[in-house]
Amino acid sequence: MKKKIHWGYPLLASLIAAPAMAGEDLQINGFLSVGATMADSNDATIAGADNQGGFKNDNVLGLQIQKQVNDSTTVTGQLVSRGTDDYKTEAAWAFVTYAATDDLDLRMGRLRIPFFYYSDFLEVGYAYNWVRPPEEVYRIGFSSFDGVDLTQRFSSGNFDGSVQVYYGRFQGDLTIGGNPLDTDLRNLTGIALAGEVGNFGSRLSYHQAELIIPASAADPVEDFRYSGQTSTFLEAALTYDDGDNSVIAEWTQLDHDTSALLDDSAWLVSAARRIDEVVIHLTYSTQVDKYDSGINGDMQKARGLGTEETSTTLGLRWDYDSSAALKFEVQHNDEEMVEGADGDSAILYSVAVDVIF
Amino acid sequence: MKLFKHSCSALLISVASTIAFADTSVIVSASNPNSTLDQTTVSKIFLGKAKRFPDGSQALPVDQDEGSAVRDTFNTSILGKSDSQLKSYWSRLIFTGKGTPPKPSGDDAAVKDLVAKNPNIIGYIDSSAVDASVKVVHTF
Repeated sequence: MKKKIHWGYPLLASLIAAPAMAGEDLQINGFLSVGATMADSNDATIAGADNQGGFKNDNVLGLQIQKQVNDSTTVTGQLVSRGTDDYKTEAAWAFVTYAATDDLDLRMGRLRIPFFYYSDFLEVGYAYNWVRPPEEVYRIGFSSFDGVDLTQRFSSGNFDGSVQVYYGRFQGDLTIGGNPLDTDLRNLTGIALAGEVGNFGSRLSYHQAELIIPASAADPVEDFRYSGQTSTFLEAALTYDDGDNSVIAEWTQLDHDTSALLDDSAWLVSAARRIDEVVIHLTYSTQVDKYDSGINGDMQKARGLGTEETSTTLGLRWDYDSSAALKFEVQHNDEEMVEGADGDSAILYSVAVDVIF
Repeated sequence: MKLFKHSCSALLISVASTIAFADTSVIVSASNPNSTLDQTTVSKIFLGKAKRFPDGSQALPVDQDEGSAVRDTFNTSILGKSDSQLKSYWSRLIFTGKGTPPKPSGDDAAVKDLVAKNPNIIGYIDSSAVDASVKVVHTF
């Protein structure tokens, strides 16, 4: 009995010490967004909401662990579970970072595709004012890929900039025309340039991939198959933030070689004013499809392709306490064209709570 | 007129109190070779934009604990951000694996101890707490 106690002390001590030591550089962080929506009608679809009340589509839970394993190497994993996806858990990020120098990082694994200004923290509602990024612009159906990237940062005086290049592949389901289709995006590559001087910031990015969807091989018209044609995406953003007032303008353009998808352009302008812990913001966003010329364009129309929509969103964010924000939004969505035909409009009311921990 | 007088004295009091009590010092270890740092440099280090001191040695910023008055002053005066703005700023970096905020490391005395022991650490404390174990590189 005596012996047991004797051995118990070191064991107990090590049990107490272990979590404290792990806490030195194993970081666990999380974010949670929960929301509710109500549309005034079902004439237009906004964020998957309807007029019966929604309590699921804006819900997102993210858990992240990060550990620096040695002086130059860090591992990061982020698991995200989304209400829109029936809370199936997905690794949004899972990568190893090798810091070649203070300003040069090489990463490999599952990464976010830097399509947009908000891409990196797309689902961290706490990081922005909206309940969700405007879907007219943030319209690409996937956000992560598997591959490698390299980020070089620059800093001089009050200028901070970075160049990121990546290469990889995306294999998974993409929802096209309402159907989830097994998709393979090969030679997925791009570059993103970002710079900040004082309160002003800008971002420019270009992306491309070869789009392969085996199911499309059955299409009788060759130009309407997805058989390795290139799609490109161009994005430019300008930002201003003086702490009290902020503005962002973001413009994007998507071009497809295949005629099965329409080329389009979309942009948004958003302004926000902060008064203590309350932010009031107003956003206009729009997306317009463009038909191909000639017979392919006629066939696109005949197949009922084509959307054109605009949204105006008025919102309020209140940081009611540390690490938590309460948001209200009213969004008027005008679908001028849906599936090639005249659309309708609707108003969506949203409320959400965003927390980080 | 009465109102004017009141606001004048309120203004005077607030100016006087700023001078008398709100003096904060950014400190490094007495053995740190850097002599002074300007606001931009301090701000870049605490926002994770710069990882080194001007002399090239590694810079490890430490915060005071959340809710400390000195921390609030530092955030507003040096970083130009409120607590919630800073949280939002860091959430953009944390959840992309790009950076982590300075570690909350206690009050004036605790931060001073940490700084004194390690030439790479930089912190801020109320100026009244400064002693010979640390070097003041910026005041505001």
